[in-house]
Amino acid sequence: MSGENVKKRHPVFTSDAWGFQANERKPGPLNKQPSKRFFVYLMAPAIALLAAITIYPFLWLIYMSLHKVKLGPAPDKWVGLQNYVKLFTDAKYLDGWVLLAKYSGLCLSFEIVIGVALAVILNQSKYEKPLVTLFLMPMMVSPVVAGLLWFYLYNGTFGWYHWLFESLGWLGGASILGRPETALYGIVIVDIWQWTPLITLITLAGLKRVPQDQLEASMVDGSSPIRNFFSVSLPNIYPFLLIAILLRFMDNFRFIDAILALTGGGPADSTKVLPVYLFDVSFKFFKLGRGGAIAVTLLLVTIILGMILVRIFEDPARKQAMSADD
Amino acid sequence: MASRELIKYDNSPALKLLKLLTPLFLTVYLIWTLLPLFIMVMASMKDLLDAFDTPKTGDWAGVAMFFDFTPTFKHYYVLFAENNFGIYLMNSLIASLGSAVVAVTLGSMAAYSLARMEFRGKKDLLFWIISTRMAPMVAVTVPLYAIFRSLDLVGTLPGLILAFTTFNLPFAIWILKGFFENVPYAIEEAAQLDGCTRFQAFLMIVPLVAPGVGAFLVLCILFAWNDFLFATIIGSGGAKTLPAATKELVQPQNIDWGKIMAAGVITTAPMIPLGLLVRRYLVAGLTMGAVRE
Repeated sequence: MSGENVKKRHPVFTSDAWGFQANERKPGPLNKQPSKRFFVYLMAPAIALLAAITIYPFLWLIYMSLHKVKLGPAPDKWVGLQNYVKLFTDAKYLDGWVLLAKYSGLCLSFEIVIGVALAVILNQSKYEKPLVTLFLMPMMVSPVVAGLLWFYLYNGTFGWYHWLFESLGWLGGASILGRPETALYGIVIVDIWQWTPLITLITLAGLKRVPQDQLEASMVDGSSPIRNFFSVSLPNIYPFLLIAILLRFMDNFRFIDAILALTGGGPADSTKVLPVYLFDVSFKFFKLGRGGAIAVTLLLVTIILGMILVRIFEDPARKQAMSADD
Repeated sequence: MASRELIKYDNSPALKLLKLLTPLFLTVYLIWTLLPLFIMVMASMKDLLDAFDTPKTGDWAGVAMFFDFTPTFKHYYVLFAENNFGIYLMNSLIASLGSAVVAVTLGSMAAYSLARMEFRGKKDLLFWIISTRMAPMVAVTVPLYAIFRSLDLVGTLPGLILAFTTFNLPFAIWILKGFFENVPYAIEEAAQLDGCTRFQAFLMIVPLVAPGVGAFLVLCILFAWNDFLFATIIGSGGAKTLPAATKELVQPQNIDWGKIMAAGVITTAPMIPLGLLVRRYLVAGLTMGAVRE
């Protein structure tokens, strides 16, 4: 019997582990009370390790944020909430939030517009597969290498992109990273280059699940493809876009590798988004107490964003919309 | 899929224009995507500083200067012969592979349990797991460094593996849980009916999930390999990886661009084929399993 036949007949092989035949069958009649101990043992090493490398540092962080941390042998001094209170008058801290919002907002709006347009075009294209493969490549580049690469491209003497911008008359002499007015756009461009393909991939996954009957009905009613996109496709890919937006937003909190390579926060703090400021406070000025306080506030905001994201993950309506075509 | 055949364009001028612009848009986007990578590869083979000069502003014909050089592999040679890139390459390899193996092994065990067991507080446990993955890395670097220093783990490969595991383990647990949930429980039930123990039943479904688990192992390697922050702070000293070493080539003066670009190529080159290898799982991996193709 050929392998193909086995695959067809045997139920085990026909259920694609990635398909959406979700396993509704929990421990069944044969196994009414599966031994929990077995599962606990299986789970324990991972949970213990994760707790050790995440909870312990987190407690340490809170401890630091409540102390004036001395680097020498002198004991740390308890200062209560002073580190937090000081943040409210720290202009760089407040600017850090504003810049982070501005940076994320700029990145996301470009990435969404370009990424979705690209996905819609690719979805109709004969060459979808090879093109997607090529478009993906920037995502594989280490963010710090991407930063260094663009640092070179922007360089005022040797950079080809600098030359291009100059020749197009976009910049007045200075490199894009050299002036506070343009530096933020410089780092936004790098983010767009690297992460627009992610939005495209997610949108493409969404477009494949737009219900055909809705599209047909809309076409029978005589609506144009453009109208079709806005009134049928867009509402259907909306949950996908929401996830893409949140993920990118959180990644902008998480990764500062490219910014560190490109500007390190300068010039004149024009690209000092909050995580970069935190990096400076902790690793340049060694103000570990204040750094701890900043880190805690940053973590809190991330956790709130994460809760929203998980709620969307688990929203039954979303799950249904996203698995409709299987 | 089928949408392509179904949609028939009418012939309004706006649509005609759109149709004409489509190939143009794709071409421009393709150039925009690939040009930086192409320049990186070319620059890595340029020796003399003259080869790095750009033409005068507005001198469009001067683009030819870009190709005006004698290709050399000198930078690659120097990186390995004088800058210890062989060691950094090995460090990168060991640290990323090590952390991926730890994360996927422990992660798949935990994920399997979480997929099969119902208990109170499961949701909170899962949220805690995913939140450790979402935490901004700068925020936890300082305490992690302090803890690792007290354990003599700073600048060692085990330390770096452990540091990378902080983001790879929650990733592996979360994504593999979704993966195991889609494997019918009936298989293990049948195996147990045939006299297998629980653990043997678990091993029974391993071949079924192996391709996916392998793909997520590759993604873990990718995340760890590309990391810079932990690599530069926890790994500084004895366990420098390629991204950290590449960044260190940037000096305040006389930046040797050819060398940096060569280091960039060395760092990037293995990851592109790896990423494309797991293409099918990429979206799931990068969206924590929320979106699947």
